[in-house]
Amino acid sequence: MNSELKIEGLRVEVAGKEVLKGLDLTMHSGEVHAIMGPNGSGKSTLAHALTGHPGYRVLDGSVTIDGVELLTMSPTDRAREGLMLVLQQPFEIPGVRSYDLLRAAGADPTTLRERMLDEARRIELPPELLDRFVNVDLSGGERKRAEMVQLGVLRPKFALLDEIDSGLDVDALDAVAKRLTAATTEWNCGVLAITHFRRLLLELTPTMIHVMSNGRVVATGGPELAVTLERDGYETFRDASA
Amino acid sequence: MTTFADSASTFIAKRPDAATRRLAWSLYEATGLPTTTDEVWRYAPLSDLDLEHFEVPSAPQQTPDSDFATQLCQRAGLVVRVVDGFCVSTGDVVEGVTVEVDQSSESLAGETLLHRYEGDTFALLNAALSPGATVIRVAAGVNVAQPVVVLNESTTGASFPRTQIVVGRGASVTVVEYFEGGRDALVVPVSEYRLDDNASLQLITYQRLDSTAWHVARTTGFLSRDARLHQAVVGLGAHYDRSRNDAEMLGAGAANELRTTFLGSGHQVHDFRTRQYHVAPRTTSKLLSKGAVADHSRSIYTGLIEIEKGAKRTDARQTNHNLLLAPNAHADSVPNLDIRENDVMCAHASSVGPLDELQRWYLESRGVSRDDAQRLLIQGFFYEMLAALPSELAGLVESDVASVLASVAAVTS
Repeated sequence: MNSELKIEGLRVEVAGKEVLKGLDLTMHSGEVHAIMGPNGSGKSTLAHALTGHPGYRVLDGSVTIDGVELLTMSPTDRAREGLMLVLQQPFEIPGVRSYDLLRAAGADPTTLRERMLDEARRIELPPELLDRFVNVDLSGGERKRAEMVQLGVLRPKFALLDEIDSGLDVDALDAVAKRLTAATTEWNCGVLAITHFRRLLLELTPTMIHVMSNGRVVATGGPELAVTLERDGYETFRDASA
Repeated sequence: MTTFADSASTFIAKRPDAATRRLAWSLYEATGLPTTTDEVWRYAPLSDLDLEHFEVPSAPQQTPDSDFATQLCQRAGLVVRVVDGFCVSTGDVVEGVTVEVDQSSESLAGETLLHRYEGDTFALLNAALSPGATVIRVAAGVNVAQPVVVLNESTTGASFPRTQIVVGRGASVTVVEYFEGGRDALVVPVSEYRLDDNASLQLITYQRLDSTAWHVARTTGFLSRDARLHQAVVGLGAHYDRSRNDAEMLGAGAANELRTTFLGSGHQVHDFRTRQYHVAPRTTSKLLSKGAVADHSRSIYTGLIEIEKGAKRTDARQTNHNLLLAPNAHADSVPNLDIRENDVMCAHASSVGPLDELQRWYLESRGVSRDDAQRLLIQGFFYEMLAALPSELAGLVESDVASVLASVAAVTS
């Protein structure tokens, strides 16, 4: 199925300060989009606001999947509409196992165990780590791999990645990028990767790149934009938004 | 109607050590039950406790095992069965393990129970009225592969189970002390654990008494050099659930890890007391208490870390988290330190509040409903405590906990 994620005029406040100031972005199933921008440009705010993080207040705007408004929904319902956020630092949830989380998230219990093992094998996560409590006693790389297991089981329409490349070793980065690339064809997953660096994009080839500055998308273009950014930095784009 | 005092007197008269028991009884009579003006009983609903309501049984009464108890026993290597405080079965023979009933009124601390528990009314009642100590001994050097289950069942009336576990030098064993039954009953267990040098005891105390029961328990671990006591105490049942869990680090390098958890519902009171007593150098204690209170229930946690002069390089940590699930629920947390040595590491933290909003959001952002997220997180308190269980028991006990949690409406609303 071909779906459309559409963000229009999104304004979001964090701790009394407006961080997103009217952001627009549209993407479709199977596409890989990257959002790049300097620290403080509002990249992470976008990811958290889309998934209904309690610390972020939406002031205005609209976020839809195939015309269905997400912003009025609970975080649970947004996830069930097909949105999944992979965090930079996934939370530790002591006492809760991935199996129980995924079952409560609606995964079919008759095949869940098998699917988790299959996903663990694909992302090269030792299967015994699946029995640990969610993200407890896992290294940074293992956590990201464990998040990929959840992604593979839940099969979201759109995956948001919040700077998952930071603190990740090359092997883990490669494995995660491969898994995401496969997801774009396997179930036509759309991937929106928020990143500070270009490193992730060498593995995960984006269709489109959006440059963020001061709470807005200030430039959109093909993969060549990443090269420009690497060469010239964000300064030229910062000017464009002024 | 036979009153508590009459039935107690009849019970004592028939015991071989009646004289010692009468002495314990007279000490109880001299002080009487504690009152809430006594700081350590401040939050207990003692005005509702009328001992005359309870009869002391002269023999164990008949009672069927619950399904859970049956399954628990099937998975154990050794089952010791105690009904109304009477050891009715010492189980099969397991190499290196002996089980016997001891009438001697001796504490594992090397003194009499009377002396040991002077000033503790309920423990004195146990000294007077317990049919005897069920003593489990693991011989030196023996690693008991399968868990030992001490199945404590109570019917009605007052019962005073007494358990003593002795783990010999270098030996290791896992023991589950399980409590069930006790409708309209008073259950006053006293348990002691003696760990010889380099011994290891993995202990799970699982309390699932009837919601009408009064449960006043006391456990003490005595740890010799390099001994390791890992104890998890789970309180789900009883109307009033009092659990005092002490450990004495008597030998250098002894290590105690204590985890306590509870769920309060209705008008339940969970009253947890701990004392980590460091006597020898390089000893450690790590205490984690996590509980949740729903409806009109309340919880009390009072923990004392006591470090003697000379217990150099002791490392003692105490953490207590209380989760409030309803506006009328209440939790008190009182950590205390008493340190007489300078060269130590000591830390304590406590909190009372609602569920961690970000953990809940993380689960919700994966498509878990708010109710399920709350249930999973609270269930997680218990699963964390049960992580020490051997795998053959873990699944069983976890699903039992889950069934109790599912019956508490506030857990998912």
